Amino acid sequence: VRVLILAPAYNEGRNLPGLADRLRVSAPGYDVCVIDDGSSDDTARVAASLGFTVLSCPLNLGIGGAVQTGYLWAQKHGYDAAVQIDADGQHDPAELEAVLGPLRKGGASLVGSRFLSAGGFRSTPIRRAGIRYLSWFLWLRCGVRVSDPTSGYRAADRRAIELFARSYPSDYPEPESIAVAVRNGLRIAEVPTRMVERAHGESSITAWRTLYYLVKVSLALILLPVRPSRVFRGGQRA
Amino acid sequence: MTPHELLPLEIQILGALILLAFTGWLVYLVRRQRVSLRDSLVWFLSTFAALALTLFPQLLVGAAHLFNIQIPSNALFGAAIIYLSFNLLSVTVASSLNAAGVRRLAQECALLRAELEALRGEGTPQGRIPTLELPEMALPKARS
Repeated sequence: VRVLILAPAYNEGRNLPGLADRLRVSAPGYDVCVIDDGSSDDTARVAASLGFTVLSCPLNLGIGGAVQTGYLWAQKHGYDAAVQIDADGQHDPAELEAVLGPLRKGGASLVGSRFLSAGGFRSTPIRRAGIRYLSWFLWLRCGVRVSDPTSGYRAADRRAIELFARSYPSDYPEPESIAVAVRNGLRIAEVPTRMVERAHGESSITAWRTLYYLVKVSLALILLPVRPSRVFRGGQRA
Repeated sequence: MTPHELLPLEIQILGALILLAFTGWLVYLVRRQRVSLRDSLVWFLSTFAALALTLFPQLLVGAAHLFNIQIPSNALFGAAIIYLSFNLLSVTVASSLNAAGVRRLAQECALLRAELEALRGEGTPQGRIPTLELPEMALPKARS
């Protein structure tokens, strides 16, 4: 079974060596692919020097476009599973096996949660309230219970890779991509994971962006297509 | 009511000249391939419609009566707003499609660049962190 770790990165040159160190300890033997989303720093050079596969986007596509580039790579190279992990170091590679775990039991897509485990870094109360709202809204629209639909720490099997390579939302894609997966018949599982505070740089999510996030994702969930995605072809339509 | 009572001759001439100049500009843009022939069609049709209303303003009066609009100029403004809204929406649709196309091309570019670097031996095609292999996982089989 070939597993690919996908690390979308935008100006994360300073955080990548730390990620490489942790991956070396916790996830040796995995293939790692850093998607440089049009960074203005030396992200691509640092990633290449660390031995990662580097996918350099010629312009900033946003997190959705970057992640989908990784899924396209995974699809093209026949990986059986892909694990998304933030290059800023917030996701602990030590949890990688736990995140991959439900794939063995037949789950199709897996979302790590910030709340299920004690200890570790916790986000602000406003963001936690937003996460609870999105979790409720996702349940309302898709009937799926996910504690943290905003978590970018997730594993996908071949069916999910195939789906996300063809259809993946653009900005703030995590909750919407869960909905897309559910609508296409993929099963969702969730495991407790611990968040780590980022080592360098600021989070891109500000108060205004949080508001935009909630409005945009709500609209996306309201406007979900009734039928499975037409672009999901390949004989596995649910 | 004669056409000149509805619209003074000077205004008619000025309007017609502006619309003809606009048509000439459109022709220039199409011939210079800055606007595709397909996209220019809606502009040509709307310009000719505006020209018809300028030269024959009684058409507007007839249309206003048809929809029970008392002041013909209100019918004109209403029609213009509806037309511009549709036109703007079609531009937004085209813009969204272009954005999706640019995203796909950028992704393809990133994939090909990585393949090229791997072929040249500059990159690591696997990006693998060395040492031990992980145990086999029994992944679910795709439903047919």
